[in-house]
Amino acid sequence: MKILVPVKRVAALEDDFRIRDDGLDVEDEYLSFDLNEWDTFALEQAMLIKEAATAQAGAAVEVVAVTIGPDDADEVLRACLAKGADRAIRVWADAITGSDPIAIARILAAVARRESPGLIFAGAQSADQGHAMTGVALAALLDWPHVAVVTALDYGAGQDRANATRELEGGVLQDVDVACPAVLTIQLGINKPRYASLRAIKQAAAKPIETPTLSELGIGADAIGPAGSASRVRRVYIPEKGRAQLIEGSAAEKAARLAQIIREYKAA
Amino acid sequence: MTVGTILVVAEHRGGELRPVTFELIAAAQGVRGRTGNPGGRVAVAVIGAKAAALADALKVDGVDEILTVETPQAEFDAEVTEGVLGALLAELTPALVLIGHGVDAMGYAAALAARHGLGFATDVFKVDVQAGALVATRGGYGQKVNVELDFPGKATVMLALRAGTFKLEPAPAAPTVRSVAAPSVVSRARFGAFVAPNSAGDVDMASVDFILSVGRGVGEEDKVEQFRELAQTIGATLGCSRPIADSGWLPKSRQVGQSGKTASSCKLYIAMGISGAIQHLAGMKHVDTVVAVNTDANASIFSVAKYGIVGDMFEIAEELKKQFA
Amino acid sequence: MAVESAAVPPEQITRILFEDFAPAAVTLFYLIGFAAIGAFLWGCWVQVRKYRRGQPAPEAAGDLAGRFLRMAGTVLSHRTVERRDPAAGRAHRLIFYGFALLFIGTSIITLQEDILGALFGVKFWYGGFYLWSSLVLDLAGVALIAGLVYMMIRRGWIRPPKLDYARPDRQPGDPDYDRSAYRREDWAFLWTLVIIGLTGFVLEAARLVWLQDRPGVWSTRNWSPVGAALAEAMRAGGLSAGAAGLLRSGLWWFHGLLALAFIALVPRTKVKHIFTAMGSLMVRDPLAAQRLPKLPDDAQDAAAGASAAVGYAKITDLTWKHLLNLDACTKCGRCHEACPARAGGAPLSPRDLILSLREHSNRTLESTLIPGEADLDIHGGRVGQISSETLWSCRTCMACVEICPVAVEHVPIIVQMRRKLVEDGEMDPLLQKTLQTIHKTGNSFGESRRKRGGWAKALPFPVKDARKEPVDVLWFVGDYASFDPRNQKVTQAFARLLHAAGVDFGILYDGESNAGNDVRRVGEEGLYEHLAGSNIAALGAASFKRIVTTDPHSLNTIRNEYPQFGGAWTVSHYTSFLLELVNQGRLKIDARHAYRATYHDPCHLGRFNKEFDAPRELLRRTGCELVDMARSRDNSFCCGAGGGRIWIPDPVGKEKPAQIRVREAAQIEGLELFVVACPKDLTMFEDAVKTTGFEGKIVVKELLELIEECVVAQQVEEVAAA
Repeated sequence: MKILVPVKRVAALEDDFRIRDDGLDVEDEYLSFDLNEWDTFALEQAMLIKEAATAQAGAAVEVVAVTIGPDDADEVLRACLAKGADRAIRVWADAITGSDPIAIARILAAVARRESPGLIFAGAQSADQGHAMTGVALAALLDWPHVAVVTALDYGAGQDRANATRELEGGVLQDVDVACPAVLTIQLGINKPRYASLRAIKQAAAKPIETPTLSELGIGADAIGPAGSASRVRRVYIPEKGRAQLIEGSAAEKAARLAQIIREYKAA
Repeated sequence: MTVGTILVVAEHRGGELRPVTFELIAAAQGVRGRTGNPGGRVAVAVIGAKAAALADALKVDGVDEILTVETPQAEFDAEVTEGVLGALLAELTPALVLIGHGVDAMGYAAALAARHGLGFATDVFKVDVQAGALVATRGGYGQKVNVELDFPGKATVMLALRAGTFKLEPAPAAPTVRSVAAPSVVSRARFGAFVAPNSAGDVDMASVDFILSVGRGVGEEDKVEQFRELAQTIGATLGCSRPIADSGWLPKSRQVGQSGKTASSCKLYIAMGISGAIQHLAGMKHVDTVVAVNTDANASIFSVAKYGIVGDMFEIAEELKKQFA
Repeated sequence: MAVESAAVPPEQITRILFEDFAPAAVTLFYLIGFAAIGAFLWGCWVQVRKYRRGQPAPEAAGDLAGRFLRMAGTVLSHRTVERRDPAAGRAHRLIFYGFALLFIGTSIITLQEDILGALFGVKFWYGGFYLWSSLVLDLAGVALIAGLVYMMIRRGWIRPPKLDYARPDRQPGDPDYDRSAYRREDWAFLWTLVIIGLTGFVLEAARLVWLQDRPGVWSTRNWSPVGAALAEAMRAGGLSAGAAGLLRSGLWWFHGLLALAFIALVPRTKVKHIFTAMGSLMVRDPLAAQRLPKLPDDAQDAAAGASAAVGYAKITDLTWKHLLNLDACTKCGRCHEACPARAGGAPLSPRDLILSLREHSNRTLESTLIPGEADLDIHGGRVGQISSETLWSCRTCMACVEICPVAVEHVPIIVQMRRKLVEDGEMDPLLQKTLQTIHKTGNSFGESRRKRGGWAKALPFPVKDARKEPVDVLWFVGDYASFDPRNQKVTQAFARLLHAAGVDFGILYDGESNAGNDVRRVGEEGLYEHLAGSNIAALGAASFKRIVTTDPHSLNTIRNEYPQFGGAWTVSHYTSFLLELVNQGRLKIDARHAYRATYHDPCHLGRFNKEFDAPRELLRRTGCELVDMARSRDNSFCCGAGGGRIWIPDPVGKEKPAQIRVREAAQIEGLELFVVACPKDLTMFEDAVKTTGFEGKIVVKELLELIEECVVAQQVEEVAAA
C-alpha cells in the first residue's frame, strides 16, 4: 500500500524583518526556511508503518512525499527522501501563487487521485501560518473519512480501519476508530522523528523528484490561486508592540523589582 | 454588507457548553453592530443527542433563535457535524458562520468549507466590516505579524474564532427555540470515550493562584531543579510549557497551555525562558499580572505580559533567590 | 678476576651444551623446540590474519625506515612507559633490558651451536667473550627478576587504582564485569618469567657445583656472581657434585620446557605486547586525535547508497591499524585514570572500551572462518560490544591517546563508532536538534547568520569586513565567541586589544560558520564537510596574511583538518599572537595584578596543539603569581564540553568534569583566579564555580580580560591621536 505525506516548507521570520512594499507579505530576505515540524512527525509515522510492514514480511509500504512549491522546496523533499521516503513529488506553476490552504488541498487531491494511497498523513498545522486546514480540506475533496490532531495511532499496513487518538484541549484524549482509506492530521509528540544525516541528504540529492504539471493533474485555473482560495490577503502589518512594561537595570535590580511585585501581590 | 443570518455553532463536550460558545455570540453581536443592518438575526445551532437540554443555557441576550438538531451521537462527530451544518447552510443561507477555533473545528470545518465553496479563515481574533466587506484578522509567521483577510465573491463566510478573545457577559433572554431535523449521516468514524490526562496526586494548575513557569530556555533537565527550589522559596507553584513536559522533565500535569492546563485561577504568572508560542499563551494570557523573563526582546510572551525583563533566566533566578533569603 | 693462564686453554672456558645428554634426549629437545617455535609462528600467523581482516590503513604506510627508527628510539628510551609513573618506568626498563639481553644471549648461543658451528665449524663463545657475556647475562637476570618482583609488589601490595580493573561500563552480574581471568593471566605471566629467571640462576649454580672439579669452571665462577653465590651456598649446605648433577638435569628440563612453553604461548597471551606494542608504535600517528580521518571515497558515492558503511559498525570495519592497537593495549590503566568522563561517573573507560573490542576481535577474527554479520556487530550491550551511552560519554579530549604508552587511538575509534550512530540517528534529541540548527543557520545558537558580527556594533571603532577588503590578520571568531553574551565581552576585549596594538584585522561576518571541530567529533562527518567547505571557500576568497583565533576548537580544525579539504593557512591562537605583539613592543602590558592565579590548559590548545607556554608567559606579565594545578599542561583535566557534550544534557545527579576541576583548583591555597583561554572553558567553569559553592572565592577570568586590564593606556591614546 502507499502512504501519501504532504509536506510544507515553512518560513520563519528573522528578528529585523520588514514588510514588503505592497503590504501583502514580508520581504523575502528575512525569511529562513525549514521542513514543517508537524510534517516531520507525519513522515516519521509513515516510516514506522513502513518499517513494521517490512519487519513482518508483509506487503511492502511505499511512502510518497509531496509538496506544493517552487524548486527551492526540493530541499524539504530531499530531507524526506533522506529519512527513507520512497518517492517525492513537487507541483508548481506560477498560477499557484496566492493559493490558500483550500486551493493547495485541491492540488493535493489531484495528486492523491493519481497515486491512490491507502492513507494520507498531513501535519495538523503549519508552523508559520497555522491554518490547520489543508489536511481536512483534502479529505473532503476526496470524500474520505478523516481524524484531526492525532497523537497516537494503531494501524498495520493493509488494515481497513485505524484506531487514532485525538488530543483535545487540556490534554484530554479520545480514541477514534476510523475507516480507511482516511486522512489523519498528525500532532506533535506522536513519535520521535528520525535524524537525517547530511550524508544521507546528499545521497538523496541523486534521487529524482517527480514534477507533474497542472494539466497532467487535470487542475484548471479556477481551482487554484486567488480564484480557488477561500480567503484573500488584504494587508500584512506588524502589530503594536506588546504592552509589557520593561524592568531595567542590573540583574540584581531587576530581581529586586520582581521581588517587590511578588511581595505586593502577596500582601494584597 | 447585509447580514441576513449569522449562524453560530455551539461547542459542547461532556454534556456542557464550552465557554467559547458565548464568545462567538459576542462576536456575532459585534459584527451585526458594524453592519448597516441591525435586523440581521443571530441563530445558534446546537448539534447532538442532548441538543434540547443544552438549549436552555443558550438563552442569552444577543441570540435570536436557537436551532436544536438531535443526532444519534451525544458527543462531537466530525462527519455528522459537517453533514448537519451543510443542511443548515442550505436552509438558512447565512452570510456568516462563527465557530470556535479548537480541536473539534479542526476536525470538520475545512471539509465543510471545501465542499461548499465557503469563504473560510481560522484562528481569527478580530472581525470587522470595512466598506461593506467582512474583514478577518489572524496572525502570520508564528504570530509575528497580523494578516487581514477578506472574502470577495463568497456568499457565506465561515470564521473559526480564537478562544478567549471576544468577551461576553451573558445576560438572560428569551430567544425562540426551533428543532431542526437532522439529515441522516453515516459517519465512517466511531468516536470513543474521553480520557482525562493522568495527574494522580500532583498539583492542579487550574486551581493555583501564583505560578512560576519554565520553558525551553531552561536548557536541560539538570537545571529544572533550581527553579523548583525557587518556586518553593517565593511560594509559587512550578509550571512549564509543552516542550518541558514532552521531554519528561516535569510531569504533564504541570504543563500550562492549550493541550495542558489553563491557569484559570492564576493571578500572578512568572514565565521564565518561555517564548510565548500561541498554544502556551492560550493557557495563561488571561492572567491579571504576567511577568516575562526572556533573553529575546522580541519574544511573543512580552505581548501578553504586564512586566517584562529582558535577561538571563538563571541570573534573574539567582538574584531573586537572594531577595527571599 | 684473572683467567687461569696456561692451565686452561680459552677454548675450554665455555659451557658445553647438552653436556651428558643422551643423543635421543637432545633430539627430543630439538623436536620440542621446533614444535614450540612452530606453535609460536602459527600463533603469530593467526594474529596477523586477524589484522588483515580489517580495512586498509593508507596513513600507516610509507617511510618504513623512519618509523622503525622512531619506534626503536621510543622503546629503547622507555619514554612513554615512564610518563606519570616513573616507578613503573624504571621497573619495566629493568625487565625489558634484562629480557632483551638474555634473549640476545640465547640467540648468540643458538647462532654458534645451530648455525655457524654446525654448518661452518665456527665457534666464538669461549674464553674471555664467554666470561664477559656470562657476567652481563647474570646482571641481566638480576635486573629482570628485580623488575618483576617490583611489579609483583605493585600489583599485590601497592595496588594503584588504575590497575584494579573496575569498569564503569558494566554492572555487577554482567558476564564481562568480573576480570579475574585478566588478573590470573597477569600473575601467571609474572610468575612464569620469575620462575624462568630463578631456575636459570639455580641451574647455573647447580652446574658449577656439578662440574666444580673440571679445570676452569670453579675458578671462573665469579664471572657468574649470582650463580657463584648460590653454588657456594649449595656446597656449604652439603650438596655433592653428583647430587648437583641430578639437580641440574631435572631443572634443565623444567627450565627449558617452561621457556619453550612460554615462547609458544607468546602470541596467545599478554606477552604478545612485546610485538604488538612495537608494531603499534611503528604505525603511530602523532596527529591521530587532532586530525580525524575523512570518510573513504566510496562512502561519498551516491551510487553506493545505503550499503556503503559509514564509520565502524562491525569489527571488520576497523582498519588493521586499529585492530593492532587493540592488541597493543597492556591494560596499564593510564587512559582510564586520565579520562574526565570516567572521573565524572560516566560509563566510559577508554581502557575498557579497547578491551571489549579486543575481546570481540579475538572471539570473531581468530577462527578459520569469519562468523556471519550478525556476530560482527560492535554496537550494543553484549560482551565485546560498546553501548551508545558509553560512546556518547566521550569528550574527545584525547587525554587517553596522549598518555597511552603504546599509541592506541581511542578517540578516533570512538568517533568512527559515533559516525555509525549518527547515520542511524541514535543520539540525544537535544544533540539532534543542535546538529539540525547548525545545518540551518551555521551556528549552534540558532541565531540568524546576519547577527554573527553583531557584537562588533558595541565597539567605538569599525571592524573590517575581510570579505570586502584585504587585511593582515583574519580573525576567525567562532560560534561561542560570536553569540554567547558572556563570551561576547571577551571578543570585544580582543578587538580592543588588536585595535590598541594597531593590528590590521578583519572578520568574515556572516561568511563565517561554525568551524566544525566538534561536529566532526560528534561523528556527523557530512555536516562537517559542509561547514569546512563553506569556511574554506570564504577564507579562500578573502585576502590576508595569517589567521588568528580566540577559539582553540576552531584553531585545531583549521590548522590540522582543513588541509584535508584543500584549505591550508597559518593559524595562531590569540595567546601566541599577543605574545608576539608584546615581544615586538606593539602591545605594552604592565604588571598590574598581584593575584594568585592558576591557568587551565584548554584541551584543544594544550594537549592537541602543544601550546602551553605563551599563555603562561602572558599571565606572568600581568603580574599574577602563577601556580599550576597538579594536572596541567599535557595532563590538563578537560572541562567536559568537548566531543559535542556541550550540546548533550549531563545526567542528573553526577558530578561534572568542570566541577571536579574547580575542586582541584581550590586545593591551591589562597587561589584567587582561575584563568582560561577558551570560550567553552569560560562558560563551563563559571557555571561550575557557582554550583560548587566557590562563587566569590574563586573568580574565573579569561586571560584576554586580564591582559586588557593591564594594557598601558598610553597605547590607546597613541592610536587615537594617530
